Amino acid sequence: MPVADCIRTAWWAILSIKDEVGVGVSVGEKKDITKVQELVYEMKVDQVMARDIITVSPDDLMSKLRELLRDKHISGVPVVRDKRLIGMVSIEDFIKCLAEGKMDSPVKDRMSYDVETLYDNEPLVRAVEEFNRLGYGRFPVISRGDGNLVGIITKGDIIRGLLKKMEIDYHEEEIHRYRASHFFEDIIADKTTLIFQYKVVGKDFNRAGETSSGLKKTLRRMGMSPKIIRRVAIATYEAEMNLVVFTDGGEITAQVTPSEIKIEVVDEGPGIPDIKKAMEPGFSTAPDWIRELGFGAGMGLSNIHKCADVMHLESTVGKGTRLEIAVHLNDKENRASEEDS
Amino acid sequence: MLLKKIVEELGLQVKVAGEGLTNQVTGAYVSDLLSDVMANSKEGELWITLQVHPNIIAVATLKELSGIILVNSRQPEEETLKKAEEEQIPIITTELPTFQLAGRLFNLIGEC
Amino acid sequence: MTLKEVVKILDCQVLTGEEELDSEVKVGCGCDLMSDVLSFIKPGALLLTGLNNPQAIRTGEMSEVGAICLVRDKQPGDDMVALAKENGIILLTTSLPLFDACGRLYQNGLVGHSEYKG
Repeated sequence: MPVADCIRTAWWAILSIKDEVGVGVSVGEKKDITKVQELVYEMKVDQVMARDIITVSPDDLMSKLRELLRDKHISGVPVVRDKRLIGMVSIEDFIKCLAEGKMDSPVKDRMSYDVETLYDNEPLVRAVEEFNRLGYGRFPVISRGDGNLVGIITKGDIIRGLLKKMEIDYHEEEIHRYRASHFFEDIIADKTTLIFQYKVVGKDFNRAGETSSGLKKTLRRMGMSPKIIRRVAIATYEAEMNLVVFTDGGEITAQVTPSEIKIEVVDEGPGIPDIKKAMEPGFSTAPDWIRELGFGAGMGLSNIHKCADVMHLESTVGKGTRLEIAVHLNDKENRASEEDS
Repeated sequence: MLLKKIVEELGLQVKVAGEGLTNQVTGAYVSDLLSDVMANSKEGELWITLQVHPNIIAVATLKELSGIILVNSRQPEEETLKKAEEEQIPIITTELPTFQLAGRLFNLIGEC
Repeated sequence: MTLKEVVKILDCQVLTGEEELDSEVKVGCGCDLMSDVLSFIKPGALLLTGLNNPQAIRTGEMSEVGAICLVRDKQPGDDMVALAKENGIILLTTSLPLFDACGRLYQNGLVGHSEYKG
């Protein structure tokens, strides 16, 4: 698929909004969407926002907006005092004012004070979410550092920013082909949730760990916190080893949302007769040969439990086992321990 | 060095002693893989491991090891204790991880 | 302790990561059971193990060890070395048995998990 097409596909996928730059919509192969999916997590608002912003002062008269809105083709202007954003005045405010014949009233009397903003260092995925949630055309961007207004972001800015970055990355990929090759191979796009699916082959001890390794690299590439990555990697690896050792294989699905990473591990047998017992540290039904390979000492499930914020295990003998774990991304605890290190 | 002396010096907990505490320790072997211990440990060595499975007693008996130290607060299984009593293999536990216990024991008995 | 010192003390052969031997390991861990390694090892630790299969590398990768040292003259297969290289894992081997390897490093000041403050 040509790059232009896949970018187009990706725009559609990530923004899922009627874009304002008039790009056509077509659905392509899943894997072409993935680059953008990844980038919206990696890139920050200040990398795509417009910095040369036109602002007005609260004491300016509404009549001043006439030229601005006409000449600059913009539909709303931030109102700023001493670099601080205090409100927004929109084209609707202007029209209303015009209809009432009060063009000599100051902006501060007509503007809206309750303004939704974004921070400069938030990931783009947050901006995309906010655009979808609130349906606004733009968000003023506030510096997390000093609280000043530093830019303004529109959907068009996001699209252009991603496009620019993708061109660069596509070029870089020629050089780092290997590095890029294991990302996002098994992905299904769904707005801001990333889904990765992996098939794990049973009884193949040498290949065991490939899934966890792939997932780990992907999470790292997305800029997840190292502590979170380590917990997810260890839990997934243990689960993968269980699939390899005890079953004929199965499937691991990872869902990454802005708030958590959820891992689901499903197999079709043989099943666990007594889950409570299986969870006990040291309890194992692993054959000796597995023990001699350094596994099967009965610590796997308790390790998973230790790494996960939520763990759910259900199993039917002869039918199969389903393990679900979640690691939260925004827990106070995570942040606290993050600061420790 | 007598096993008894090592237990005292390192502050270890004795689970199964029998007459074994008077065993002469000729060295130490650290491994969690039974096949490795079977292949490479030598008579009279003290075995440091995480394994608590009853099979460890069979290996220790066969190789005539002077005792087994379970690290990381690992507790032996019932069956393991029973077999240890039968075979008169001393079982000793410690909360120390392998690396530290091996380090301290090494300081005590040196290279072998 | 730097890996350079580790290499010297254990008379190691360096299989991967030759250029990164100035990096430091703060804690030692001797273990052949990978779930146990995963459950208690600290990121950046030196893992000493007799386990000579690719899962030792995988375990090191997942738990973010500083380096892995195979003991008792274990020579890893090409696949294992390739896996280590691919994942940026420093891989060493020594002819010493695990007991002596732990002992010598401990004697030279490398601490274990319950002594590590950091």
